[in-house]
Amino acid sequence: MKRNARLFAVVACALFAFVFMGAEKAKKPAAPKGEPIKAKIGVISYISGQGAAYGEAITNGIKLARDEVNAKGDVLIDLKIEDSSGKQEQALAAAQKLINSEKVVAIIGPTLSNEMFAAGPEANASGVPIMGTSTTAKGIPQIGKFVFRNSMPESQAIPAAAGQAVKKFNIKKVALLYGNDDAFTKSGFDTMKETAEKLKLNIVTIQEFQKGQADYKAQLTKIASLAPDAVFCSALYNEGGVILAQARKMGLKVPFVGGNGFNSPKVIEIAKEAAEGLIVATPWFGEKNDPKVKAFAAKYEKAFGKKPDQFAAQAYDAFYIMTNALKAAGAADRTKLRDALAATRNFQGVVGTFSFDAERDVVMTPSVLVVKGGKFAIFN
Amino acid sequence: MEWLNPYHLQVASFMLINAILGVSIYVTLSTGQLSLGNAGFMSIGAYTAALLSTQHQLPIPVGILAGSLLAGAAGILVGIPSLRLSGVYLAIATLGFGEVVRAVLINWESLTRGAVGIAAIPQVGRVILVWARDRGFSPESLGLQSNQFISLTVFLILLFSTLLTVAFFLRLSRSRVGRAYAAIRLDESAAAAAGIPTTYYKVLAFSQGALLSGFAGALFAHSTSFVSPGDFTYHRAVEILVFAVFGGSEHIIGPVFGAAFLTLVPEALRAISEYRYILYGILLVLMMVFRPQGVIDPALLRRFRRSGKGTPA
Amino acid sequence: MFLEQLINGITLGSIYAIVALGYTLVFGVLDIINMAHGEIFMIGAFVGMLIMSKAGAPLPVAFLGAIVVTAAMGLLLERFALRPLRGRPGASHLASLISTIGVSILLENVAHKIFGSGNHLFETPFAEISFTIGPVTVYLVQVVILLISLLLMAGLSLWLSRTRAGKALRAAAENLETAGLLGVDTNRMITTTVVIASAMGGVAGVLVGMAFNYINNQIGLSMGLKGLAIIIFGGMGSVYGAMAGGLILGLSETFVVAYGSSGYRDAIAFVAIIVILLIKPQGLFGQAPAEAKR
Repeated sequence: MKRNARLFAVVACALFAFVFMGAEKAKKPAAPKGEPIKAKIGVISYISGQGAAYGEAITNGIKLARDEVNAKGDVLIDLKIEDSSGKQEQALAAAQKLINSEKVVAIIGPTLSNEMFAAGPEANASGVPIMGTSTTAKGIPQIGKFVFRNSMPESQAIPAAAGQAVKKFNIKKVALLYGNDDAFTKSGFDTMKETAEKLKLNIVTIQEFQKGQADYKAQLTKIASLAPDAVFCSALYNEGGVILAQARKMGLKVPFVGGNGFNSPKVIEIAKEAAEGLIVATPWFGEKNDPKVKAFAAKYEKAFGKKPDQFAAQAYDAFYIMTNALKAAGAADRTKLRDALAATRNFQGVVGTFSFDAERDVVMTPSVLVVKGGKFAIFN
Repeated sequence: MEWLNPYHLQVASFMLINAILGVSIYVTLSTGQLSLGNAGFMSIGAYTAALLSTQHQLPIPVGILAGSLLAGAAGILVGIPSLRLSGVYLAIATLGFGEVVRAVLINWESLTRGAVGIAAIPQVGRVILVWARDRGFSPESLGLQSNQFISLTVFLILLFSTLLTVAFFLRLSRSRVGRAYAAIRLDESAAAAAGIPTTYYKVLAFSQGALLSGFAGALFAHSTSFVSPGDFTYHRAVEILVFAVFGGSEHIIGPVFGAAFLTLVPEALRAISEYRYILYGILLVLMMVFRPQGVIDPALLRRFRRSGKGTPA
Repeated sequence: MFLEQLINGITLGSIYAIVALGYTLVFGVLDIINMAHGEIFMIGAFVGMLIMSKAGAPLPVAFLGAIVVTAAMGLLLERFALRPLRGRPGASHLASLISTIGVSILLENVAHKIFGSGNHLFETPFAEISFTIGPVTVYLVQVVILLISLLLMAGLSLWLSRTRAGKALRAAAENLETAGLLGVDTNRMITTTVVIASAMGGVAGVLVGMAFNYINNQIGLSMGLKGLAIIIFGGMGSVYGAMAGGLILGLSETFVVAYGSSGYRDAIAFVAIIVILLIKPQGLFGQAPAEAKR
């Protein structure tokens, strides 16, 4: 037993030594001496892994905004970016690192709702404002008073799109198709079902698919055989593009109404002509005749070689919302920043006019778009 | 206590949960059975604990106990039919089991909420903080901020759990049970011929491994406060396997070391975290080719003890 | 709709059958499951895609390219991940299994690094051509896939039963040591087996691209696990078992989605594994192994 005690002692000591290695003095927030306000903002993003495309768009949007804001000079932001790979343990560890080792004043991210459910409570308990730019699940801002989001939830977007489509095409029968193994598409589906029921539509069938699937023939054949007037589809653009292409190929020509995941130029890229007629509600309309939007789109494309999507746009706006609140707070103080954020009203961003409601959730009007001529256009 | 960094405590906490998972696969491996279904058992423990604490407001320890026992029971259910299988067949069957559990978690929405997962699971540190505050205690009296207190509490609970687990199984390996396991691993027919009830011991090992996985799962649920089917995929099962394969599959310290090392390194080297799985893959192959028993094997341990004691073996 | 689903099922099933054949060949000779087979199949699909989309070459060249690359990967796999483990006193079957798991993880993530995680378009030039026979629409692509699969299966069977090399392989599958004593170059045999199996995976990869038009780096994982289900179901080491099992799985999956709940589609394969392993561990067509337990 003695030998093993030695072994334990060594292992335990190593563990303790590691844990207590984190010697760091607490830094006082920068006192505003004249100008500018200097602050560290942390970013938790899905940089490596299956969903890295989303994290990349988000991080790019934030970086673009950071460059613009720092160039202006009244706020200087030091961005600390951490990768969470879409895993909540990593998001939690990243949040801890940013909060305790980097001592950031606020966090933007994480990317997935899953990750926010793990990291959010921790940020809240530590008194650090955390804002999701792409987390749309139910219950996120309700985690705590330090948790915000500027990502329009499906529960606002889908009823808008579905409502207009039903009116325009006189839809009575609808088929529902969704990815049942992803929190985002699943909660999108929950909203679609609710919406269909509220609109008193006849749901002819509900079909499911899994992420990464390449073949939807079985589900689409079944749907086609029941002759619905439209298909409500909750999918991310990766699967959505393929579904559209295969549906059109097999002769299913009825209108498709998509959720947030479909609002991406990538859907058009993947599905090509099959994307024509896709209806989707979204906060982000890249082709809007608005100088702010056009300027952002042009700058983004120049810097990163592709058109910005909803993730990039919301992240870009989020950064501005954060820094505006920082200016209003007057100092890089976590609590003051939180209060200033909560008071954000009528912020003019590239996705439109934005406010936080009493529960730090999104107040925004979605645009309902349709794919026409290979591009998104307003649906009417 | 300025130097207590919740970030380090967080990483250490994950190391400890992974250590328990490492031991869970080690236990079944010690009877020569390779189970790739531990992610499935883990999910049973995690979801049980999550549901009991969120839907039924039962106290955390109840959920953890129930989760572990349920997983252990599942282990018996899986272990008995698996007696007919060995080696590769068993590995695949258990892999299949893990995937079936995951499919159930995704599809049985009325129970598990499907892919959306279960959020707002009471986090053991935060719960204890509230409980302590209600009794007039405040972490500031110890010189701690709230989040330091929370992380420290979680860490200490996990440390205690891990030490308990390791101590228990270390003791077990010295007992009659442990010797039976070793005998079965070396040569099952011989063990049976020698009168060892191999059936009983193999199922026992299986359920012990499952129970531990469930235990780790419940602890995981109560530390991250969110679970979803995506946390318990084939990749998780492989990760657990790598802890034991890399760390050492012939002594219990092996998987503990493997888990600690493989949790710490990607965290410390976040830059290479992108290449983590590529490195895991290469590591598995290299280990099998050059050192199949893992880094820590009995020979290494003997050398370590010898150098301490000063008496040559 | 039933006929269309039937055709869908048969197309899917024949691809599954080819993947399963790859597994069964390696298991028959080496007694190990090559967990990297699924990933090799995925690489075959990507190579085919690259050849057709980027180089603009015709389909046969895509097949050729996929075969060459995957065969080479099989060679490397055998040389570096399997051969060092043979003849080692301590290494068990588990060591080879784990080693191939390592390779599969490596390949999956390398592919992810190179190709990203999204769906890539796999364009077949004649994808639009279809015939309508009565109420049913059949696509030329589906016919081609079925033909190629049948040819491959027939070819393999003939090769195994008629040619010297094939017979040597069967001998090696029966008993490696004895085959060696009888003059079969076992190392060559093993290498040949792994190479052929991998090449078949490559062909299946191109077929999948043709069938579904979109490929991504995750298809290896799901195909791999299903391939396992098939050979366990059909009997490890049995060529006919792999073919039958593949067809049965393809049809079951399609019909479960068509007439049942599509959510459980992927779970079917695993439930099948478990059920078969419990009732008839040697599979439908497998022989009860010599030792008491397998």
